[in-house]
Amino acid sequence: MRLNDALKWGLLVWMAVVIWAAFQWAPSAVGFQGESARIVFFHVPTAWVATLAFLVSCVASILYLWRRDPMNDVRAASSAALGLLFALLATVTGSIFARIMWGSYWNWDPRETSITFLLLIYAAYFALRAAVADPERRATLAAVYAILAFVTVPFLVFVVPRIWWSLHPDTIINKQGTIKMDSRMFQVLMGSLIGFTGLFVWLYTIECRIERIRQRRQQELL
Amino acid sequence: MSNWLAELTAVFVKDLRAEFRTKVSLNAVGLFALTTLAAVSYTIGPYRIAEADRPFLLGALLWIVIFFASMAGLDRSFVKEEETHTAALLRLAAHPLVVWAGKLLFNLVLLIVLMAILVPLYCVLMGYRVESPWWFLAVLATGGYTLAVTTTMVAAIIARAMSRGALFSVLSLPLLLPLLIFVIQGTTAASQGEVDGVLSTLRAVISLGGIMTVLSVFLFPVVWND
Repeated sequence: MRLNDALKWGLLVWMAVVIWAAFQWAPSAVGFQGESARIVFFHVPTAWVATLAFLVSCVASILYLWRRDPMNDVRAASSAALGLLFALLATVTGSIFARIMWGSYWNWDPRETSITFLLLIYAAYFALRAAVADPERRATLAAVYAILAFVTVPFLVFVVPRIWWSLHPDTIINKQGTIKMDSRMFQVLMGSLIGFTGLFVWLYTIECRIERIRQRRQQELL
Repeated sequence: MSNWLAELTAVFVKDLRAEFRTKVSLNAVGLFALTTLAAVSYTIGPYRIAEADRPFLLGALLWIVIFFASMAGLDRSFVKEEETHTAALLRLAAHPLVVWAGKLLFNLVLLIVLMAILVPLYCVLMGYRVESPWWFLAVLATGGYTLAVTTTMVAAIIARAMSRGALFSVLSLPLLLPLLIFVIQGTTAASQGEVDGVLSTLRAVISLGGIMTVLSVFLFPVVWND
């Protein structure tokens, strides 16, 4: 328990430093309106966590189908709930940036399309869970859907932007495989990625506990 | 192998015979397509779109009509089994993969019939000229297959849940969104005679269809036997 407490306080300090560094330590980016580029330190990590949550959900789903352990269903559902939250955050931060740089909150850029798609999948996943009463069947059907949805993600993230024209700034790892970023900005971004991942892990453990209690209560009611 | 083929044919013929008895799917899909086509043709028609926008907009509208029409009826194959309580018997009578293949074949035939009626009508009513008809057909065929294989799997899932009708489109559309983007690009390229554009989208559509087929083979028995 003591290690957990230490980690939580460590995360608080880490995130505080990241937020400070994002505004004070990282230099201004060239070629962007005002200080708008600083949103990258929060936008990219939220998008990363949304994808990571989806991956965790998919892995937990595969494990559920394999071992039929109800805990894996709890893991998949909890991770998907957090993924939905972070996907929303990524959409909002991206949309603010789009308004400042490109003049409109939304213009169906391929990146915007792919995040919408992620949001739709999460929404559909929960719609499916809500429509099945039997816990075991709910777990199986949701797991199958999560796996089906997961394999279509690479098509939207990697193939569609190649076919469709995009305004989105080059992703961190661009087509040449090099990192075009100021070293201080890169450090802050990496720090932020680690911090957000830590935040996800913490939220995930809490959410798993809540979800398990919720499912137990539902079974008691039945 | 021949045993499997016989079972597959039996499942397919059974579905076809049941469909001809009621014609529920055919009516739903066909009438939905005709109504949307009438609405599109009446409000937009062949002359309302600027010449430069024609290939893209007409390709996009065609696929939107096909997609929404298929949402209206492709779920019937499995929902019907649950509604009439025949699923349990089918589970005993045939291997899961045979059931899957038979239902997929049925959905494919339904889509082929839909496209065979809808696409020529659409071309006539909207004045849609296609430069490379063979590539256009290739996009329709591969897109139709991927659409059928994805919706068959989703239909199997929703048949086991409540409020099936609404759930089918809610679950299908996110999975079909990349396909929709690819086939619209491919159709646009085919109508302009750009073979390179068609080839790049065909690659994407075929790989998506292939992955969906492989996944279905693994996941369908799990859903069906649950």
